[in-house]
Amino acid sequence: MNTRPALHNQLSDPDGFYEALLDAHDGLDGQASAEFNARLILILANQIGDQSLLLQCLELAKKQA
Amino acid sequence: MSFSPASFNHGYEFSQGTGYSLPEYEAVIPDAVHTGQTEHHDILIVGGGLTGLTLACSLAQLGVSCVLLDEDNTVGVKGASSRGICYTQKSLEIFDKLGIYERIRSKGIQWSVGRTYAGQDEIYHFDLKAQGHFSLSEQPAFVNIQQFYNEGFLVERIGQLGHAQIRWNNRVTAFEVTNQLACFSISTPSGPYTATADFIIDATGSRSPFHDWLGVQKTSKKGDDRWCIADVRFNTHPPKERHTWIEAPFNDNRAVWQHLMADDVWRIDYQMAPDADPAVVSSEAQVRERLARQFGQDTKVEIVWVGPYAYRSECVDRMSASAGQSEVFFIGDSAKVVSPFGARGGNTGIADADNLAWKLAAVVQGRAQRTLLTSYHAERHEAAVTNVLITNRTARFLRPKDGMERVFRNATIDLAKKHAFARGLVNTGRMAVANPYSRSPITAPDLPQSHSVQNVAFKWTDGSAGQLNQLLQWAAGMPLLLLWIDQPLQGDILRCVQQLTQNHSLRAVAVSQRKPSAWREQIIDPQGLLAQACGSNQPTCWALIRPDSYLAARSTEHRSAAALRQAIAALQGAQP
Repeated sequence: MNTRPALHNQLSDPDGFYEALLDAHDGLDGQASAEFNARLILILANQIGDQSLLLQCLELAKKQA
Repeated sequence: MSFSPASFNHGYEFSQGTGYSLPEYEAVIPDAVHTGQTEHHDILIVGGGLTGLTLACSLAQLGVSCVLLDEDNTVGVKGASSRGICYTQKSLEIFDKLGIYERIRSKGIQWSVGRTYAGQDEIYHFDLKAQGHFSLSEQPAFVNIQQFYNEGFLVERIGQLGHAQIRWNNRVTAFEVTNQLACFSISTPSGPYTATADFIIDATGSRSPFHDWLGVQKTSKKGDDRWCIADVRFNTHPPKERHTWIEAPFNDNRAVWQHLMADDVWRIDYQMAPDADPAVVSSEAQVRERLARQFGQDTKVEIVWVGPYAYRSECVDRMSASAGQSEVFFIGDSAKVVSPFGARGGNTGIADADNLAWKLAAVVQGRAQRTLLTSYHAERHEAAVTNVLITNRTARFLRPKDGMERVFRNATIDLAKKHAFARGLVNTGRMAVANPYSRSPITAPDLPQSHSVQNVAFKWTDGSAGQLNQLLQWAAGMPLLLLWIDQPLQGDILRCVQQLTQNHSLRAVAVSQRKPSAWREQIIDPQGLLAQACGSNQPTCWALIRPDSYLAARSTEHRSAAALRQAIAALQGAQP
């Protein structure tokens, strides 16, 4: 089994999620924001679980030249 | 108490360009100016903008007398801009009921393709023609037209209909409660007079003086986003598409909107630096320079109108307020102010008016109790809060705070260029829809929400074309019952419909997929579109539609005479 990352929208409420994400950063300074993001990524990674899928997501997030 | 003339300028502090020439109407001087007597009206509308005029026209259509006061002698803002330009299907359906849709259609521009850019790249595009959910209506998804045209069409239509009197150059200068009634001081070019009213509609717009007069509580949010509007004509012809730049290279990487309107005039909205000086960014020289960067040095540009705007978001906590025994209703911008993204300002104001008109008519004409009017707050406040929320999200995407908000936007734009999922997060405006009502006291309890039934086409029994709006017109302010007759009807629902029809509680029409029957009032719906528009995925026995096209009740069982009686009682203002 080789699961591919989903590239279509899977969020039930994209705008609502985006707003909640920004709200979570409200009032945090740069360092606190970065730490928040790090915790969030680790939590979300655990929700995904699948190592092969996670490695593909890391590739997707790399900025292409 | 008095307020300054600037109260009504809608935030357009300043403008340049040749402008539009707007109609001018004769000042109306009521007898009360000479007799000194205080007038009394059932319904007094203050403010002759889009929503005030829509309400006056809707009341006139239902045969209800009302007086509308307007502080100047023309539509629009004197010499001013296009303002609300994008009209949704729901607004067009309302205008169709009022008899001005054909004029709007032939004057305005229909568009269906929209493209969104960041820098040089197109991030995504859509074609509304390919989106099925607009297709049930006889009206298109959108028409673009300058706001003052619609206002002018409404004025002329009101003139044809009678019942509603528009008083130009009648300015409300003070308000008090006298003998338990709301009493207004009104100035005219020939002198002042006073008037009382039972129902007052505050349609004065975003700087309503009523809020102070009545101590209205509201929730507001002010931003620093600044825009500049340019209404322009070209010697070239850009495609008839809506183009949106989140980051426009020709506007210092800030946002730009490009829309076509009537008369070959394009509306270009430029996002400015936060807290930019309006006078500078809207100077004709600066605008010409920006236009040359966008369309090329060789393009000849005629500037029709230029002006800056800032926006805030604001929503009253209650959509009406008591003044003695009188009741004041807030509609349009006097109830809520939103950023312009998604065309949620004017369109939802039109819907406010459409919602309130039939309820006021039913109360004034003695067909419903006054309690029916409480549903105006329940329904339109839910809509207002939703529209404030949605437009605030767009504003936040378009004007991110420095720091993490901008980091996330950059990431979203980057990903959206490659991956579909991130396009859903690019928020350049979520277009206005007919807001559903989920907490209405006049919706049948078994419906999770009340939605607007589109203006569906059908056939009359002679084979000619008809549409739902014609049936609503015929119902003349009463609820419309659609009764599907292809399955045999139970006796008690027939008796119930007969009785409710006889006492003028509703008007009923029989719907068949196949052929004419013994029913006198019948329509043919070969493809079952009406049931689809009523939102049922099961065979429907009957559906009850309000004068504003919203679904009040629906039944899939024929043994449901009690449910129908209950739904009718709710629409007559009976407490549950």
